Amino acid sequence: MIDFSRVQKELQECSRDMEASGIKVTPVSDNLVNLSGTIPGPIGTPYEGGIFKIDITLPDGYPFEPPKMHFVTKVWHPNVSSQSGAICLDILKDQWSPALTLKTALLSVQALLSAPEPDDPQDAVVAQQYLRDYQTFLGTARYWTETFAKTSSLGVEEKVQKLVEMGFPEALVRSSLEAVGGDENLALEKLCSG
Amino acid sequence: MEDYFSGDDDDYVYSDRDSLDGLENEEWVPPKGSSTKVITRESLLAAQKEDLRRVMELLSLGEHHARTLLIHYRWDVEKLLAVLVEKGKPSLFSEAGVTVNEGANSSLSSSSSVMCDICMEEVSGDKATRMACGHCFCKDCWTEHFIVKINEGQSKRIRCMAHKCYAICDEAVVRNLVSKRHPDLAEKFDRFLLESYIEDNKMVKWCPSTPHCGNAIRVEEDEFCEVECTCGLQFCFSCLSETHSPCSCLMWELWIKKCRDESETVNWITVHTKPCPKCHKPVEKNGGCNLVSCICGQAFCWLCGGATGREHTWSSIAGHSCGRYVENGEQKTERAKRDLYRYMHYHNRYKAHTDSFKLESKLRETILEKVSISEERESRLRDFSWVTNGLYRLFRSRRVLSYSYPFAFYMFGEELFKDEMTKEERELKQLLFEDQQQQLEGNVEKLSKFLEEPFDQYPDDKVMDIRMQVINLSVITDNLCKKMYECIENDLLGCLQLGTHNIAPYKSKGIERASELSACWSNKSNTTDKYQPLECGTSGGTSENERLSGSGSSDDSGCFSRKRAKKDGFGPSFFDLNLPAEGIDRN
Repeated sequence: MIDFSRVQKELQECSRDMEASGIKVTPVSDNLVNLSGTIPGPIGTPYEGGIFKIDITLPDGYPFEPPKMHFVTKVWHPNVSSQSGAICLDILKDQWSPALTLKTALLSVQALLSAPEPDDPQDAVVAQQYLRDYQTFLGTARYWTETFAKTSSLGVEEKVQKLVEMGFPEALVRSSLEAVGGDENLALEKLCSG
Repeated sequence: MEDYFSGDDDDYVYSDRDSLDGLENEEWVPPKGSSTKVITRESLLAAQKEDLRRVMELLSLGEHHARTLLIHYRWDVEKLLAVLVEKGKPSLFSEAGVTVNEGANSSLSSSSSVMCDICMEEVSGDKATRMACGHCFCKDCWTEHFIVKINEGQSKRIRCMAHKCYAICDEAVVRNLVSKRHPDLAEKFDRFLLESYIEDNKMVKWCPSTPHCGNAIRVEEDEFCEVECTCGLQFCFSCLSETHSPCSCLMWELWIKKCRDESETVNWITVHTKPCPKCHKPVEKNGGCNLVSCICGQAFCWLCGGATGREHTWSSIAGHSCGRYVENGEQKTERAKRDLYRYMHYHNRYKAHTDSFKLESKLRETILEKVSISEERESRLRDFSWVTNGLYRLFRSRRVLSYSYPFAFYMFGEELFKDEMTKEERELKQLLFEDQQQQLEGNVEKLSKFLEEPFDQYPDDKVMDIRMQVINLSVITDNLCKKMYECIENDLLGCLQLGTHNIAPYKSKGIERASELSACWSNKSNTTDKYQPLECGTSGGTSENERLSGSGSSDDSGCFSRKRAKKDGFGPSFFDLNLPAEGIDRN
């Protein structure tokens, strides 16, 4: 069983110093199993200025088992899959300790953005580019930040239209968008999974 | 080297008959106090006590710390000591996550309160536990942590909950806390800890029997050996498949796979029957002899299927020799075909000998009968141990012979050692080896023939003659096997530059049966000098080992004891050592 009282406390603690850390964790649903986190791109990196959204799922054994996290926002980074957003970070796997929290985990993800480890890559293509052609890597990472991590300028109607154009029925698109809090990527995922 | 060539006639006549007097008879004596041990569920704790005690005494540690160290260093005490000498105690401890800190373990008073960083609750001191590393959390959180880790299968190395603390939690604390909530999980934890001695230790392995007998085997020095578990299964300790020396593990793995892959074509064509070279009817072999005659009257060689003259002895046919692989000029043009023929050549011989082996295993029933009939008879001959010893030698040599074919297939083929030898070298070595192989083959067949004789119906002098022959041939085949292994180890595998192939050493006495690990076995050693009737192939055999081990009647290694063991209690127990490995007929 998830220790919900601890999760509650973590959420309170997080919102208390949100100003200082810039890290935000909000529940997606009432059950506190699915959460959504955002981290600002670290200053002085190609991710600067972007807001990166991370999907968090708490396993049954939380906090004794690590939370499952992946990027919802597309990121160009050696340790993040450019396809799925999967994160390669030791503390989310075998180096997890129950003494860590969602906030500290997100801080570690943020630290990973500023200090990539191309020798232990999640995305081999990105890692190769990082090692062989650093300038191009910077360019691509910056471009991806601009394109995917800056606050979406699309209004709700535009999002609906975009998804309808993909072939989903409008009523379903609207309810899905609502359910995921207006995020078009999440809505698409929801629509695709049925 | 020269004498390899001199024995060209298959007969290999034992010229020096006088030497028989000194030899009297070879007697199967189980290896003295076999160094290979069976570890059962019950003796698992006792088995690791020695290693634990050594580490505890040397470093003046408690048992749980010693265990943590040993688990980290995979029960390799020598390695552990090397690290101690090289890097010192603090480094040794910290690498393994051992924290020896007596002060930190002081209990917390109930009046004080502690903030648990895991559940983020304030708890009273008696509800919290401080580990040796100094980190303190509430008992509920510790328990939950332990449960998750045990269920993840990480019992052997449960780390402290604090981030970046690599200390291993005290097993007593784990056991204590977990058993309060999940007694069965605590048991599982204990079992995991105990079984680390098997799982993480390269000198100990589970017996690969299915269904599993529950035993593990510990070897002493060499992991390249063949052992027999008390459940009766014989296996190669190194690769856990059936015993396969003189093949190396890699050769055997390749061979088994090849036999499986080729079974569609080759087995179907050649394995079960041989067409008569005259009337082409399929002929099935129903005895241990390699010389068959079809009902149409045609005699032919079972090994190569070629027609032969009627002029033959048991071991050879006049003007016929087929043990060598002769490369046919025409086949050279078609490589694939040649390879298939080459494989078939070796496979046929391998198969022929394993088949003979199986038939001969059935033979032991009849032989036993003959022995008991002979013993009933009014005769001055009382001792028939030569029959069983000869039979044992036959089984042993037959196995060596059959596995020598897959060995030759790889040794002289291009698959494994293409760049190891020049063509000339290869041919020379192959000639040498095949010569030995043929000598062994001839003598094994002769031994088989004599053992099949209806000696229970013969007059005494004829029985004496057979006895002499069997004893003689037993010694010869044993020596030839020994020589073949020596040749393989020194002249063939020993010369390899690339890659290493190790084979289990040849033991005249057969595959070593592991003896049960027990604290009190030496007590029995001198109390009995009689073999008790024992059940066949069961754990009863071990007590025999134990008793014998102290009697001082056996030589150390390789050679047969020339002293006669008492034979009045001689019984079927001897045979259980001769049984073929179950897996031998897998192909």
